[in-house]
Amino acid sequence: MGRRQFSLFSVFNYTVLTLFGLSMIYPFIYILVYSLNDGKDSMLGALYFYPRQFTLDNYVQIFDNAKIWQAYKITLLRTLLGTFLHVTLCTLMAYALSKKTLPGRTFFTFYIFLPTIFSAGFIPYFITLQKLHLINSFWVYVIPMLFSFFHIVIIRTFLQGIPEELEESARIDGYGDFQIFLRIILPLSGPVLATISLFIGVSHWNDWFSGAYYVSDKSLIPVQTLLQQMLTEAEALSSSMQRAAQQGGQTMNVNVAGATPESLRMALLVITVFPILCIYPFLQKYFVKGVMMGSVKG
Amino acid sequence: MMANPLLKRIWRHKLFYLFMLPGIVWFFLFSYVPLYGIQVAFRDFRFSGGFTGSPWAGLKYFHQFFDYYQSSQLIRNTLLISGLKLLIGFAMPILLAILLNEVRSLKFKKTLQTLSYLPYFVSWVVVVTLMQRLLTPYGGPVNDLLLSSGALKDPIQFLNNTTWFYQIIVGSDVWKNIGWNSIIYMAAIAGIDQQLYEAAKIDGAGRFRQIWHVTLPGVRNIAVILFILATGSLMSAGYEQLLLLNGPATAAIGSVLDVHVISAGIGEGRLSYAAAVGLFQSFIALVLILTVNRLARKVSDVSLF
Repeated sequence: MGRRQFSLFSVFNYTVLTLFGLSMIYPFIYILVYSLNDGKDSMLGALYFYPRQFTLDNYVQIFDNAKIWQAYKITLLRTLLGTFLHVTLCTLMAYALSKKTLPGRTFFTFYIFLPTIFSAGFIPYFITLQKLHLINSFWVYVIPMLFSFFHIVIIRTFLQGIPEELEESARIDGYGDFQIFLRIILPLSGPVLATISLFIGVSHWNDWFSGAYYVSDKSLIPVQTLLQQMLTEAEALSSSMQRAAQQGGQTMNVNVAGATPESLRMALLVITVFPILCIYPFLQKYFVKGVMMGSVKG
Repeated sequence: MMANPLLKRIWRHKLFYLFMLPGIVWFFLFSYVPLYGIQVAFRDFRFSGGFTGSPWAGLKYFHQFFDYYQSSQLIRNTLLISGLKLLIGFAMPILLAILLNEVRSLKFKKTLQTLSYLPYFVSWVVVVTLMQRLLTPYGGPVNDLLLSSGALKDPIQFLNNTTWFYQIIVGSDVWKNIGWNSIIYMAAIAGIDQQLYEAAKIDGAGRFRQIWHVTLPGVRNIAVILFILATGSLMSAGYEQLLLLNGPATAAIGSVLDVHVISAGIGEGRLSYAAAVGLFQSFIALVLILTVNRLARKVSDVSLF
């Protein structure tokens, strides 16, 4: 009886979880398929698991587009620069706050914690950005994201786990504070720095809001904002074209191959999502720990 | 001059203050200056005047909001959407963690976990683009499948449709965050003493009773804390998602406070009015989190502060 109940439950459990896993991955498989299929052919629908008319044309056209190159450049630049500066500055602050002997340590911890309880809201923040002349500047992507309370806490918790004896013995060897930080602390902090780099790197890569609301100069738009601008256009366009295509070949010759705005959009989506999908599984074991650390001492 | 021991200690730590300096300046500029700027909600803000140079307006903009014929609708929509997200989005990760914990094959478990984190790492723009593509009535795979299997006669317009709006909003929110939010419960479950399961088995507890009597109590504390944190955001329904998914067709049930602040403030340039709405939102959120925190402390001895 108990045994049978167990196996029934297992069948149910594995089925539910397999379906769940498919629902997580299938949308990404679908856009990959769509982006590798001839655009006009895709409009006929019934495309599920593999490209019917394989082509790289969508990608060729995407990489030919100067606007998209520019946007991709902005995204790459802000992600690399923003991640490097964020991780460096947060680590410096976290290291200082991890020193139990530091006078004013409690005060400074509270100083950076307080804004997480009560935030001023969007408008005063926006006016501040304006006053700092960050609106419509590349730096609006980097400077407002330089620090994060939660990231500082995660790094600090990690650093506090490094045995103090290591520092003491280095001091006996004649190392100064800065040398200790550079030669002892940093080399041991690999896992936490990788985690924070992933967190902040993904935030930079995925941020469409700043590009949409803080920037009007078209050459400063990142890829995500470009995708956002395509959302509304694409819907109207694809529905009208699709209808034409499905109502038979009279209105449009569907035998003629070629890219459509929708197939180009899917190719752009793939090159936007792909870099992240390649990176995160390798960092998984680190960020799972990072989530824990952030919650233990949040 | 260095006679004072405190000054001496401070001097010895000079490098660490230098390390903190950029952070101290940054938090001042990007957290405390905006806090000071809250007063624009009580002033007729003019950009030339800055935070303090504009004339006082008292509660004018708060009255304006509450007199606005749609203000109760905005509050209702916000609470409804965030409430649904809170209830369902809170329970689903726990359920996932429990189901995953019952899996024997380590490889299957690891693969599923990796897959479940995937949507967390893509932006809302990507998620909405995916949904537009998958759910479109014009050759989208979901409708195609339903049509060809005979489950449907006519394709369904899922997006920009009041009938499906809340399902889409809550469903996509769960899809995006369920894996990520389950990490912490997985860890809590992993920390449960295996002897408790053994003892339960000896007492004759089956699969479900073990879950009920051992696993669930094991995640209780962390669940309470996360619930308290989540109630703090009841006044915001998620502006990124709603900016992208709400349109004229669903405005009556999809317009929320967070988006209203952004569109009135940046879109229409009514900064003082939008600041007042935002302040009202922050204030209620603060009251909510303090109340729930107190309740939790009374009921279960678990609290944030």
